[in-house]
Amino acid sequence: MEKTLLSIEQMEEINSLLKQKAVEAGAETWQDRKEAQKVSCKFGEEGVCCRICSMGPCRITPKAPRGICGANADTIAARNFARMVAAGAAAHSDHARDIAHVLHMSSENGSYKVKDKDKLYKLAGEWGVSTEGKDLYDVAHEVAEVALMEFGKPFGTLRFLDRAVDGRKETWEKEKVAPRAIDREIATIMHSTHIGCTAEAESLVRMGIRTGLSDGWGGSMIGTELTDILFGTPTPTQTESNLGVLEEDMVNIVLHGHDPSLSEMIVLASEDAELVAYAKEKGAKGINLAGLCCTANEVTMRHGVKMAGNFLQQENAVLTGAVEAVIVDVQCIFPAMAALADCFHTKFITTSPKAKIPGATHIEFDEHHAFDSAKGIVKEAIDNYANRDRAKVYIPDSKQTAMAGYSIEAIIKQLDLVTNSHVDKTGTVKPLADCIVSGVLRGAVGIVGCNNPKVRPDYSHIEIIKNMIANDVIVVATGCAAQAAAKAGLLDKEARNLAGQGLRTVCELVDIPPVLHMGSCVDISRIILLVNAVAKHLNMDIPKLPVVGIAPEWMSEKAVAIGNYVIGSGIDTFLGVYPQVTGSAEMVDLLTNRVEDIVGAKFTVEMDPAKLSEQVLERIEAKRTALGI
Amino acid sequence: MTLFDIIFQGTSDALSAAKSVVEKAVADKGKEHKVAFPDTAYSLPVIYAATGKKISNLGELQEAIAIVESLLVKEQRLENGLNAGLGTALAAEIIEAAKYSVEEAPYVAPLAGHISDPIIRSLGVPLVTGDIPGVAVVLGECPDAETAAKVIKDYQSKGLLTFLVGKVIDQATEANVKMGLDLRVIPLGYDVTSVIHVVSVAVRAALIFGGLEPGNLDGLLKYTLERVPAFVNAFGPLSELVVSAGAGAIALGFPVITDQDVMEVPTRLITQKDYDKFVATSLEARNIKIKITEIPIPVSFAAAFEGERIRKGD
Repeated sequence: MEKTLLSIEQMEEINSLLKQKAVEAGAETWQDRKEAQKVSCKFGEEGVCCRICSMGPCRITPKAPRGICGANADTIAARNFARMVAAGAAAHSDHARDIAHVLHMSSENGSYKVKDKDKLYKLAGEWGVSTEGKDLYDVAHEVAEVALMEFGKPFGTLRFLDRAVDGRKETWEKEKVAPRAIDREIATIMHSTHIGCTAEAESLVRMGIRTGLSDGWGGSMIGTELTDILFGTPTPTQTESNLGVLEEDMVNIVLHGHDPSLSEMIVLASEDAELVAYAKEKGAKGINLAGLCCTANEVTMRHGVKMAGNFLQQENAVLTGAVEAVIVDVQCIFPAMAALADCFHTKFITTSPKAKIPGATHIEFDEHHAFDSAKGIVKEAIDNYANRDRAKVYIPDSKQTAMAGYSIEAIIKQLDLVTNSHVDKTGTVKPLADCIVSGVLRGAVGIVGCNNPKVRPDYSHIEIIKNMIANDVIVVATGCAAQAAAKAGLLDKEARNLAGQGLRTVCELVDIPPVLHMGSCVDISRIILLVNAVAKHLNMDIPKLPVVGIAPEWMSEKAVAIGNYVIGSGIDTFLGVYPQVTGSAEMVDLLTNRVEDIVGAKFTVEMDPAKLSEQVLERIEAKRTALGI
Repeated sequence: MTLFDIIFQGTSDALSAAKSVVEKAVADKGKEHKVAFPDTAYSLPVIYAATGKKISNLGELQEAIAIVESLLVKEQRLENGLNAGLGTALAAEIIEAAKYSVEEAPYVAPLAGHISDPIIRSLGVPLVTGDIPGVAVVLGECPDAETAAKVIKDYQSKGLLTFLVGKVIDQATEANVKMGLDLRVIPLGYDVTSVIHVVSVAVRAALIFGGLEPGNLDGLLKYTLERVPAFVNAFGPLSELVVSAGAGAIALGFPVITDQDVMEVPTRLITQKDYDKFVATSLEARNIKIKITEIPIPVSFAAAFEGERIRKGD
């Protein structure tokens, strides 16, 4: 039987009904603001507008090929691009830093505990932190300190680089892109892009890769590792996705943002007997938690919390009129949510001093009293249940079942199912490598990234995923791409029936869906490590593998940082939206061509998902041909 | 060469061999010359079960080559690899059928060649009851006779039905392995193509016991995967033809375990270099579980020895 997917047309129909609710409520949405922006400025679009000093702003035209300082289009576009990398790396790093601090404050009886002791001890071993005869929490605190040093240590390069396959380490060393301390790389970019500093585009591209790598093999990887230690390494779990997960007669709380140190506590608070009783007292049947964006990914990976949707769905959640509170922390939160929430009874609650938004209810999350703090926030939501205007409620009757929780550890455990105990060791990626080498699977792609109003939301994600699996290419997904897959129904095990015979057979034997949800955007570090593990198993460098990264609808600077560390890791990256560098032929050549000579992988940009899919499949087959497999 | 290319090459080899064998047969005997295996109601069983077509003369046999050609699509995909493997199986049946058409007695004892319907019917009950827990197809050449004997006797002592193809037959003889249907060790023939006679057993099991409609290929593959607990042990250097035949086995749901370096496919195509673990690896791959009550006696003890005859010399 074929899995019935939710089609893009059905999604759009629901969206237009919700848009109608916005019109009725006099509320503005991203569609209105996109419209109001008219045609975007060509200079910004092409990356040739510079405003890094007060002699400017300068812009490059045929008549004015240089800015006042003499910077040409190449310099300006390269600087702008590098700063995007720096901002993206900074966002992931600060996220990770918070988690490291939380690990440092973990204690036996506190809100934050060590949940995955094995992973902690493994990391302690890797980092040379002695564990013998030591209290668990002393080990945790020491590991946290080592992690925190990675952000600003004065000498050496990042510890996690040691995890890489030899070919990568050699390349990074040789090309001088091995990241040192995380914050240092970000600061260096800000320095070098200052007026009168680096003007050479290639040099800035290399810095971008190094800074990107400080994210992927630094900030993000630390974030993921320590989050697993604190909150548990994800295991396969069933969940539901799309706005239909909101409940008519429950207190609906939507979690939005990124940092699991908040969301984990909100999950606990929403299950707290006292608060559940309180919700019932207020006339609700209980508390219903749903996630948006990467926070949704974090809590669904570990607790199966339902997913309301991805980036461009955040306003839709409010438009249902059924959400008592949207609780947010940091990153990818529309500031417009405050004004939008005002049109409904929804409380828009900011919690982080790093992301205050005018018009929001700010309840600062106190990590030192995390559980109580979270309870206070949840109580605010319950108190708001009585204010729901039933006449305004429209919960779309649309949800799909989905599997999530595929950490590397979980994937390897599934792969153990197909080992032969008389031949194979368990706990390795050999079965995956075998399937790829034999050609049963043609390759693997990671589909990541955001939504972007420049392209039809979710269309590219879904089309590309469908094309990949139909051609026996296994897909791993994170972030809003994974959420798009979940909404469509592609994370369900039954979706294997949409796959080619090779992938379908693998899915049946390994008992997995054809698209594996590997987590949030910092969890792209999991993808990198999985690819790295396959490379190590096959004793070859990553660029040789038939593996590709795709960001079909990318939007944020974080996505730019991710793209840089993905190519830095030796994985070709396909983008469905043009980076703002097209005003510089040099930059286009560097990113889509010459960078391959440096790190063994490059960017390809293609806005048409069908064509992009074709190119990805061609690239995968070309890599196979080169390997003779 | 990619794994699929090796398979495609093997299928091409099988195809051209089938073409020339049938061409020669037609040249010698004419298109109307009768084609049939002895003692079967299922014509050429593999072709009949897969396509629903019965073949009675050399002209029709020649036409059947087009079916093999249609199964050879050289795009690198699992389904094409498996189809090509099935193509090799069909080509093998064509070649073997031509042998039976042209020669009076293509196989002489102890070689079995084609297995008759009555024998398959007699095997049906013990297969259903699990008295025969599995079917081992041992083909190729072991490093030595001793190894061959050890593997075969191990299967024998566990009650499996073992078919031998290729030089391993001589190795078994050399090591004094007693063979025969009663002893559940059946030497089929020396040519790789004679392996089709065991595939024919599996296929007829689907027709006889599974009530399979001839021509229902998907149903056939499902039946053999789920109901016929067979597997293949391929020893020694593997020609493209053997690999391609192996793909045919995999298409039917039968894992292939080999002592050679190949591109492994989890649960389906497995390399095992330790001969001491060959049997255990194979049984696990086919999910064959045998309840054994070990009796500490100095000779092998199993149902497979029930029909053994003690001759004077012994």
